[in-house]
Amino acid sequence: MSSESGKKRKPKVIRSDGAPAEGKRNRSDTEQEGKYYSEEAEVDLRDPGRDYELYKYTCQELQRLMAEIQDLKSRGGKDVAIEIEERRIQSCVHFMTLKKLNRLAHIRLKKGRDQTHEAKQKVDAYHLQLQNLLYEVMHLQKEITKCLEFKSKHEEIDLVSLEEFYKEAPPDISKAEVTMGDPHQQTLARLDWELEQRKRLAEKYRECLSNKEKILKEIEVKKEYLSSLQPRLNSIMQASLPVQEYLFMPFDQAHKQYETARHLPPPLYVLFVQATAYGQACAHMKSSQPPRQDKTLSVAIEGSVDEAKALFKPPEDSQDDESDSDAEEEQTTKRRRPTLGVQLDDKRKEMLKRHPLSVMLDLKCKDDSVLHLTFYYLMNLNIMTVKAKVTTATELITPISAGDLLSPDSVLSCLYPGDHGKKTPNPANQYQFDKVGILTLSDYVLELGHPYLWVQKLGGLHFPKEQPQQTVIADHSLSASHMETTMKLLKTRVQSRLALHKQFASLEHGIVPVTSDCQYLFPAKVVSHLVKWVTIAHEDYMELHFTKDIVDAGLAGDTNLYYMALIERGTAKLQAAVVLNPGYSSIPPIFQLCLNWKGEKTNSNDDNIRAMEGEVNVCYKELCGPWPSHQLLTNQLQRLCVLLDVYLETESHDDSVEGPKEFPQEKMCLRLFRGPSRMKPFKYNHPQGFFSHR
Amino acid sequence: MERAVPLVVPLGQTEVFQALQRLHMTIFSQSVSPCGKFLAAGNNYGQIAIFSLSAALSSEAKEESKKPVVTFQAHDGPVYSMVSTDRHLLSAGDGEVKAWLWAEMLKKGCKELWRRQPPYRTSLEVPEINALLLVPKENSLILAGGDCQLHTMDLETGTFTRVLRGHTDYIHCLALRERSPEVLSGGEDGAVRLWDLRTAKEVQTIEVYKHEECSRPHNGRWIGCLATDSDWMVCGGGPALTLWHLRSSTPTTVFPIRAPQKHVTFYQDLILSAGQGRCVNQWQLSGELKAQVPGSSPGLLSLSLNQQPAAPECKVLTAAGNSCRVDVFTNLGYRAFSLSF
Repeated sequence: MSSESGKKRKPKVIRSDGAPAEGKRNRSDTEQEGKYYSEEAEVDLRDPGRDYELYKYTCQELQRLMAEIQDLKSRGGKDVAIEIEERRIQSCVHFMTLKKLNRLAHIRLKKGRDQTHEAKQKVDAYHLQLQNLLYEVMHLQKEITKCLEFKSKHEEIDLVSLEEFYKEAPPDISKAEVTMGDPHQQTLARLDWELEQRKRLAEKYRECLSNKEKILKEIEVKKEYLSSLQPRLNSIMQASLPVQEYLFMPFDQAHKQYETARHLPPPLYVLFVQATAYGQACAHMKSSQPPRQDKTLSVAIEGSVDEAKALFKPPEDSQDDESDSDAEEEQTTKRRRPTLGVQLDDKRKEMLKRHPLSVMLDLKCKDDSVLHLTFYYLMNLNIMTVKAKVTTATELITPISAGDLLSPDSVLSCLYPGDHGKKTPNPANQYQFDKVGILTLSDYVLELGHPYLWVQKLGGLHFPKEQPQQTVIADHSLSASHMETTMKLLKTRVQSRLALHKQFASLEHGIVPVTSDCQYLFPAKVVSHLVKWVTIAHEDYMELHFTKDIVDAGLAGDTNLYYMALIERGTAKLQAAVVLNPGYSSIPPIFQLCLNWKGEKTNSNDDNIRAMEGEVNVCYKELCGPWPSHQLLTNQLQRLCVLLDVYLETESHDDSVEGPKEFPQEKMCLRLFRGPSRMKPFKYNHPQGFFSHR
Repeated sequence: MERAVPLVVPLGQTEVFQALQRLHMTIFSQSVSPCGKFLAAGNNYGQIAIFSLSAALSSEAKEESKKPVVTFQAHDGPVYSMVSTDRHLLSAGDGEVKAWLWAEMLKKGCKELWRRQPPYRTSLEVPEINALLLVPKENSLILAGGDCQLHTMDLETGTFTRVLRGHTDYIHCLALRERSPEVLSGGEDGAVRLWDLRTAKEVQTIEVYKHEECSRPHNGRWIGCLATDSDWMVCGGGPALTLWHLRSSTPTTVFPIRAPQKHVTFYQDLILSAGQGRCVNQWQLSGELKAQVPGSSPGLLSLSLNQQPAAPECKVLTAAGNSCRVDVFTNLGYRAFSLSF
């Protein structure tokens, strides 16, 4: 049965219900101040147990009545129907009771449900609250651990040590009495001190920054000023050009030269710089006079700058590739076309190639003769060469015997001992030569110039023999250390060569020029005279029979110049073979004598001839004359004439030969002979004019 | 004619000068030390060099040991003559005689012990001393040279005791007759004079150039060398080298050599002589040339026989002259090596 139908039927039930229900309702009405019947309130008043008893009883009654009815029906009869009816009424009452009980049960159920629901809601609320609380606890715990784990920044700060802190910090920060015992306070105080210090430093930093800014600004201003100066200077320079020209002060030209100098290879650059510096230093030393136009040393650069520039751009494909990869290609493709010789020729040319730029040095001597030196750089051999030329102020008549004196080939030979400039100073070159079949550099020297050692040194190149180096770097200090001596040597070389040149001209005419300041070395009357002065070849000198000693002593190298002099008096002929060292006049000429008079006399069979040689060769220093002793050679020759006079005049007269002496004694001598080897009085004593023994 | 081309070394100024100096050096005199192990040599530049004979002769001799142990400047002029006493080396040349202690000379920076100058007459030129001669019997030294006189100096006191005058030109050489105290002197004037030291008188004069056998007028009359062996005397120079019998003053043997001789000495039954030319000549008394041993110098001026009994291993003949080399002959027939300045 549905509860709906149950409720609709309620009023009917109430109406049809009997008095017992009314009686109850009245009672509840009085209690509940409402007058309408409320089964719901009735439920509270009734005991469910009793209702259950009632329900059981009612059900039993109904079963009994049903059974009785069934019994009656089965028995049939007329009185049965009444009986049945009566029983049907009783059953209906019981049904009513049942219905009532059902309703009550329903209400009770509903009530129970409501109560349960209510309780459940309460429980839920509590549960929720519990959850919240737990959550809060957890959160708080987390916070606590977080706090515990928190790392303070101050731990990372590197504080000053404790002692330092107490020593340096002011007492109002350190507060020693408080902080000594309390580490926390102490740390705080220390942090305070740190902060204080940092603040100060920050202050300082800011100050410095501002200072820097200020300086930067100043620099900026000055830069601006300088950049504004450039155009002004340019205009001044432009304007000063005519003045420079007028005053012979080629500053601008020099500047241009420095521009070109940038393209010089390093050794030539070193030479250029050092020579220019030396030239200027020389000019300054003489600056007591007004600036002179004729500087003693002038430096210039010659050659094409463009070519030099071109050299720099593709450095690889100019030489390296050709030697390696191209060479291989050539072997396969080109070899058949040009002959091997031509190819080698090309390679040789390539190897001996000069740098397109060269440095010209003009060295001016006192007598206005100029030594022109042109320095070249052989790029692939890494050596320098020089070509020399001498020009004189006045045209010289070249004597035959002076041919080699000023020739470019020999004028600078042996400037330093042994430096004849025929061999390459770079030991590495020999291997390069072997590749292309060059035997020595000397075959090419005329064309390329001489690779003297001093030239390398002027260019700052040094090739140590003991430890060959991979790369030889041009060194300024080396060049500087050799510049002055070399320039002086060059000057004396040119001057002595020019002096010789002049002297040879008169020697060839049989005149021995004796300058007035050397006149005191010789007596007024010298009878022997020079007849011949010729140059002879080195080989001829070696072949002479009376020069063996000199050759054996190693004094007859092929760099020397060789001459033959003939001095005559009457029938006596004195031959003198002369070795002229390129280092003349610091190295004396060496004489070897051979006298033809009453037989041939040389140093091996006549002690006095030997003594005469000694007189001119060893005692040459008294014949040097005034510095720079350019008169040495002529004085030696004149001395030889005097010696020959003495020799002939003091020769003891052979009593067995009839007739007068060929050479009467005219010289004043203290004694004719002296010592075990019977020396003649060769020494001339100047003011008195007599001869004595040395 | 082929010549080996020597290696030409490039030379600087000082090297060239030194080479020339060596080239024109003449060694005038030699003397062996009393111990026999050292040889002193004096040259024309006034230098004396001491060579160690024992080192040069030893089996492990190097090139170094043929160089002088010490070289020092002894005189201003050439050192013409040197003799050794048992402690000293006496050297003379430019008019002065100097004494050096052998023991000290081997150290560097040696100074002379004393120096003496004979009493010369004043002259423009200081006369040279060409010859020194020790007279062991009276412990004296005889000096002779440019002033044509013989000066006797007492080595004890250093005073000049006697002057022997007689030569008309300068004196080249001296020789002592061992048995009788007599001295021979030969000079530029062509005479050999015999002096008696006791009386200080000239007792005999031989004018060699006047004898036709030995006179060579084209060479001059000068007597350059002299040696004596009691009755015999050998002399040479301008005239030919000749052996004389002193008592009779007659030339007995004329040795056939053209070149003027500068040094002569008796050695056992031989006569050794040297002079112009490279060779040391060995003569029999009869005049036969026994041997000619070539040396390294173009001309020789002095021979020295090391006969010191103290050093028998150094018994050599040394010869020096117109070069910077002293030739050493280990036996008479063979030149072993040269000592060089």
